[in-house]
Amino acid sequence: MNGIQVDINHLKKGEVSLGTSIMAVTFKDGVILGADSRTTMGSYIANRVTDKLTRVHDKIWCCRSGSAADTQAVADIVQYHLEVYTSQYGIPSTRTAASVFQSLCYENKDFLSAGIIVAGFDDKSEKGEVYSIPLGGSIHKQPYAIAGSGSAFIYGYCDKNYKPDMTKDETVEFMKHSLSQAIKWDGSSGGVIRLVVLTKSGVERLIFYPEDYENL
Amino acid sequence: MTSIGTGYDLSNSVFSPDGRNFQVEYAVKAVENGATSVGIKCDDGVVFAVEKIISSKLLVPKRNVKIQTIDRHIGCVYSGLIPDGRYLVNRGREEASNFKKLYTKPIPVSALADRISQYVQAYTLYNSVRPFGISAIIGGIDEDGSHLYMVEPSGTCWGYKGAATGKGRQAAKAELEKLFDRSTDGLSVKDAIKEAARVIYIAHEDNKEKDFELEISWCSATETNGLHKFVPENLLEEAIEYAKEQLEGYEEGDSDDEAASSDEEPATGDADGDVAME
Amino acid sequence: MAGLSFDNYQRNAFLASQSHNTPKATSTGTTIVGVKFNNGVIIAADTRSTQGPIVADKNCAKLHRMAPRIWCAGAGTAADTEAVTQLVGSNLELHSLYTHREPRVVSALQMLKQHLFKYQGHIGAYLIVAGVDPTGPHLFAVQAHGSTDVGFYHSLGSGSLAAMAVLETNWKQDLTKEEAMKLASDAIQAGIWNDLGSGSNVDLCVMEVGKDAEYLRNYITPNVREPKQQSYKFKRGTTAVLREVEIEVYQEQEIDISA
Repeated sequence: MNGIQVDINHLKKGEVSLGTSIMAVTFKDGVILGADSRTTMGSYIANRVTDKLTRVHDKIWCCRSGSAADTQAVADIVQYHLEVYTSQYGIPSTRTAASVFQSLCYENKDFLSAGIIVAGFDDKSEKGEVYSIPLGGSIHKQPYAIAGSGSAFIYGYCDKNYKPDMTKDETVEFMKHSLSQAIKWDGSSGGVIRLVVLTKSGVERLIFYPEDYENL
Repeated sequence: MTSIGTGYDLSNSVFSPDGRNFQVEYAVKAVENGATSVGIKCDDGVVFAVEKIISSKLLVPKRNVKIQTIDRHIGCVYSGLIPDGRYLVNRGREEASNFKKLYTKPIPVSALADRISQYVQAYTLYNSVRPFGISAIIGGIDEDGSHLYMVEPSGTCWGYKGAATGKGRQAAKAELEKLFDRSTDGLSVKDAIKEAARVIYIAHEDNKEKDFELEISWCSATETNGLHKFVPENLLEEAIEYAKEQLEGYEEGDSDDEAASSDEEPATGDADGDVAME
Repeated sequence: MAGLSFDNYQRNAFLASQSHNTPKATSTGTTIVGVKFNNGVIIAADTRSTQGPIVADKNCAKLHRMAPRIWCAGAGTAADTEAVTQLVGSNLELHSLYTHREPRVVSALQMLKQHLFKYQGHIGAYLIVAGVDPTGPHLFAVQAHGSTDVGFYHSLGSGSLAAMAVLETNWKQDLTKEEAMKLASDAIQAGIWNDLGSGSNVDLCVMEVGKDAEYLRNYITPNVREPKQQSYKFKRGTTAVLREVEIEVYQEQEIDISA
């Protein structure tokens, strides 16, 4: 651009951002998504009860981090794609959903600041899956994923405490502890902890208030 | 079959007063004169076979391939104007590639057949184009098992257990019907190769004076790991042997019919007989 | 190519950030709020319009009607809130005529966010969207970049911090209509008194399930100008006549203006 290098993310300041702590964890019966609820505009908390866990299909959800506008727009487009896909080819796999997210994030990487975790439960295989799609638009299949500004503080904790094939209660406890620490140390994260549990039996929403998670 | 167009046959996208699109019907004529193609659907896969008339002794044997692969798991064979078929397969490859790029999963056979048929149908609507002069048999394996479809110049697309098109389609269809009546408990792809060869040989009977080469491909969950491939040389030889063997019996049994059927399509070169092929 | 070009936007922004005389953005001070109550939703706004340090209009209207029962409070660039609100309102009416259904708040929201996202924040509209439709009462906030929030109460604009302070202390679940009207107007007054960009009166719009929307223009007027103690009209003849000139009428013609 006329030989002048410009930091895009810096110039886009002033928009609403999800300085965030998000995660998704597979377990024995499926997968759980989790997030804090803080939305900031600079130093002001624009929303303290935000819902960063967004449905894109019945049992495929995503955790959003980065720009609120960008991630909402991307999630809306993916939701539309999957709706069309369903009417033409049947229920999409989590992999397919993540792939649609990826192509949007990759092809528009210069215009987007979106870090997304896609998680879903496949009724056929009865397995939960987690895909992480960070800033550049790459895709990573993982047993669990953490992202957002708060995630920096809990890499160690999660690595030490995650176990494959946990029960639902164990997983909820693990995520409560993880997000509690992320919120504690990250100024851009806060509010309540929201969880969405995806299993054979359906979709369940959980909410934990500061008094529930602050003194675990 | 086709009446005089009286001016309604010159343009696509124009109906005749009795509701026909003559351009599409002429395209069907081109198909009817093309070399015979068949497709057979089994429980664990599909088999394609096509008759290749040797139009010149200078042609190199086995070097003029007709059956094409649209995606790793989907094959296609067609009768009619061969270049039209190649163009359509290219389009099919684009569709398959777009699907895989967006959804990171191979395109379902039904979805591909549907997209291709929609494309073919669009070519019956506009003044600036003509319909495709082919009937394409599309088949393969996906997560829901094996599938076989046939797309016609009008854009019609039906799913089949056994499909045949081209010059020898009548005889081929009759044989396929008999085959599915006989083996109700399902055919294996290995048997289907032999049967496909036999069907092509029988369908060629009305066109005996011309030599031909046989081409067979298959796509099977058990035999080819879900990929569309040409059958190995030994299996092809085996199938041809079987077909010839069966044909001897067929000729003895149906020698009366042969004289009758030769009325239908006179061997003496009629005016439009050679328009379409080779 | 047709349409607006933002080719040089980033370059200009970069150059502006390098120099000391950054051109000032036209940010209009405002306080707007929205509050849900047990059977509906309320939005409210102040009525001050500013141009830099000048009060441009002491009693402007910041509550926009997008559909008979979907209203919108706007903060940010006044021209943009007006334009985007009218555009979406118009499309909402066409959509409603086409579908033979009452327009929905989520439709308005989706149209707004998609339009604003397309313009990447260059349309400076910050809106609180509220209304009742066949699915019940709804309340949303939309930011200029196209992000949206759901909630029981919202505040936006330069006075949003003052208003939010009131909302956070006094809001409770299951407010009655009267309680909600009091809460909304109190929140706006917090903006009027404590934010320099906001002032004058409180406009209110109540949307209740099963009823027509109630637009209460100047619901509270705490800044009525005192009547002047004296008349400042000059008496006839105050101006001294220095010279008189008599001009003769050259031509006279009657014109019929009745038709």
